[in-house]
Amino acid sequence: MDSEDDMHDANDVESMDDDEGFYSDEMGMDYYGSDDDVDVDFGEDNEGIKRIEASRAENNFIILKESDIKQRQEEDITSVSTVLSISRAASSILLRYYNWSVSEVHEAWFADEDKVRKTFGLLKKPVIQLPSSRELTCGICFEAFHRGSIRSAACGHPFCCACWEGYIRTSISDGPGCLILRCPDPSCGAAVGQDMITMLVSDEDNRKYSQYLLRSYIEDNKKTKWCPAPGCEYAVNFVGDDENYDVSCLCSYGFCWNCTEEAHRPVDCSTVSKWIMKNSAESENMNWILANSKPCPKCKRPIEKNQGCMHMTCTPPCKFEFCWLCLGAWSDHGERTGGFYACNRYEAAKQEGVYDETERRREMAKNSLERYTHYYERWASNQLSRQKALADLHQMRTVHMEKLSDIQREPESQLKFITDAWQQIVECRRVLKWTYAYGYYLPEQEHAKRQFFEYLQGEAESGLERLHQCAEKELQQFLSADGPSKEFIDFHTKLAGLTGVTKNYFENLVSALENGLSDVDSQAACSGSSSKNGGSSKAKGGKGKGRAGGSSKNIDSAGMWTCEYCTYANSKQSTTCHMCHHQRR
Amino acid sequence: MSGGIARGRLAEERKAWRKNHPHGFVAKPETGPDGAIDLMIWQCIIPGKSSTDWEGGYFPLTLHFSEDYPSKPPKCKFPQGFFHPNVYPSGTVCLSILNEDSGWRPAITVKQILVGIQDLLDQPNPADPAQTDGYQLFIQEPAEYKRRVRQQAKQYPPVL
Repeated sequence: MDSEDDMHDANDVESMDDDEGFYSDEMGMDYYGSDDDVDVDFGEDNEGIKRIEASRAENNFIILKESDIKQRQEEDITSVSTVLSISRAASSILLRYYNWSVSEVHEAWFADEDKVRKTFGLLKKPVIQLPSSRELTCGICFEAFHRGSIRSAACGHPFCCACWEGYIRTSISDGPGCLILRCPDPSCGAAVGQDMITMLVSDEDNRKYSQYLLRSYIEDNKKTKWCPAPGCEYAVNFVGDDENYDVSCLCSYGFCWNCTEEAHRPVDCSTVSKWIMKNSAESENMNWILANSKPCPKCKRPIEKNQGCMHMTCTPPCKFEFCWLCLGAWSDHGERTGGFYACNRYEAAKQEGVYDETERRREMAKNSLERYTHYYERWASNQLSRQKALADLHQMRTVHMEKLSDIQREPESQLKFITDAWQQIVECRRVLKWTYAYGYYLPEQEHAKRQFFEYLQGEAESGLERLHQCAEKELQQFLSADGPSKEFIDFHTKLAGLTGVTKNYFENLVSALENGLSDVDSQAACSGSSSKNGGSSKAKGGKGKGRAGGSSKNIDSAGMWTCEYCTYANSKQSTTCHMCHHQRR
Repeated sequence: MSGGIARGRLAEERKAWRKNHPHGFVAKPETGPDGAIDLMIWQCIIPGKSSTDWEGGYFPLTLHFSEDYPSKPPKCKFPQGFFHPNVYPSGTVCLSILNEDSGWRPAITVKQILVGIQDLLDQPNPADPAQTDGYQLFIQEPAEYKRRVRQQAKQYPPVL
């Protein structure tokens, strides 16, 4: 996605020094900042939201730029080098072997220094005595050189600079194995560290070596990973527990730390991998073939019949002629078996139940394929919507915000509610998408759960449609207006409100799915009845004693009431809905 | 080892070999029909070790050096169909020190290669088989394996 690169600019500054983590600035605390009235009303709820976010983000991860990575790596090397009193190059080699864990290096070293030195080739003194002559023979090209132009690792094996360079260059061009390079002598295990390399090879090769070293710091470390987004150069240091793996990179890509697939809350990693497998697997092709084709009775190649009569002729070289219905040779067919469009042999045999098993399998495959297609289409279309919304968000940030700020004479900071809304849309599309994978794997026989799930999903979906509609269509008139308009304030209130409401819905959806729809046992009956009432009456659940889903729970505990008409969460003091001005009922 | 060190090094190898080499071994660059010497291909002979089943055999081996030598190891080939668990059907020897991804170091000499291969002859490595015939017999029918090795040794008598 090309938009991601440009987008991190916007997040850059705030996110890095924001101790709250990334949720806080993504979700924005000040939807209602410009409207004093509402601000007061939402005082309590803001606290609530903050708490939820704090518990979720709690510095789960730190995004590292290249400079951060370098700095951390340098610090670790320095620390080992100081404590162990060894060279930086040697520290770097040790850290590399111990997956860049300073404590593991210390532990191993102080347990048995000699063993560590021997294993990783960090010799204390040379293993060979060089002759005291002025000239020495290079062990690779066998030519004699003046002592001064001979170099050796700690072992003392003599090689000329040109041969060293060739040896190191070959190793660097073979890949990251150059980080554990040893002396060119076949019987020698002495390590060749970065100090030697810097001295002996070209700048270009040194650059490559440093790059491998940097990559190793991320890739060989259990607590860091590269952001998997294409083209993104940031790394993530995960410091959280295994409760929440969601990570959102500065490039705006959200992914799961555990499986590095795209962020997929509320669905778990194994479901995601099953679903991705299923989407790519041949198994679906097989299902299609099973459902829509029959094998040629002679050569067994699958044949799809898309038109024509029952007289089939297989393609060359087989050319077998047969009846599509009974799969018998066509030579036995014709007028006497019912003509070209029927087969009374088939009918008779079917009566006797001969074809039941194969027919049933074909029928089942067809059904399961249809079921899968249903979920897949919705999964994919939300994926598309999300990509479109990401592009729109980008467009909003790069083009429209400035324009709108001119037209409405408002500073861009006051228009943040619009990008907040779009960010919420992007996030919601992501969640919604994964709920379809969730739905696919929710067992058919769990009727109550399915009903509850579909209810929550439906609610969330219609809330999101409302928000998307508002952000997309209603904004247009203000973009094309000539000057500031009064309605813009209403639009602000409405969009910010819808963003909050939709966010609430989705949080409820996510938490309900994450605890496996466990509420369903006690509340099955209630949710069943409210889902029948249709989309517009969700507030009833909130008022009644049996609540439909968690949304009303949160709202209740914060002392809010949910408008029956537009579902807006109003403060308990107000008697009319702030959003649609209907009376509280 | 920038361009051309291969030939220089091989010339030095040649000198060192002439000065001193293990008994019974032969190693010399190929001479073309016009009498020109090609340093990049060496014709060698490895004697089977005495008091082993390989004794009495003088096995011809060709070393093919590339321009990348000594960064990259030479390719070592016995005649096609050579009987040994670690020799490919093409005759190429499979040996750790000759593998550029693991055991090869540029300071390994021709002498070390040849002695290494001589050791391999009577100490095959069953963890790394390269041909079915030799491997299966070595594992399952030691007597037949011995017979085949002895027979092969007779096939390659001393050249002189």
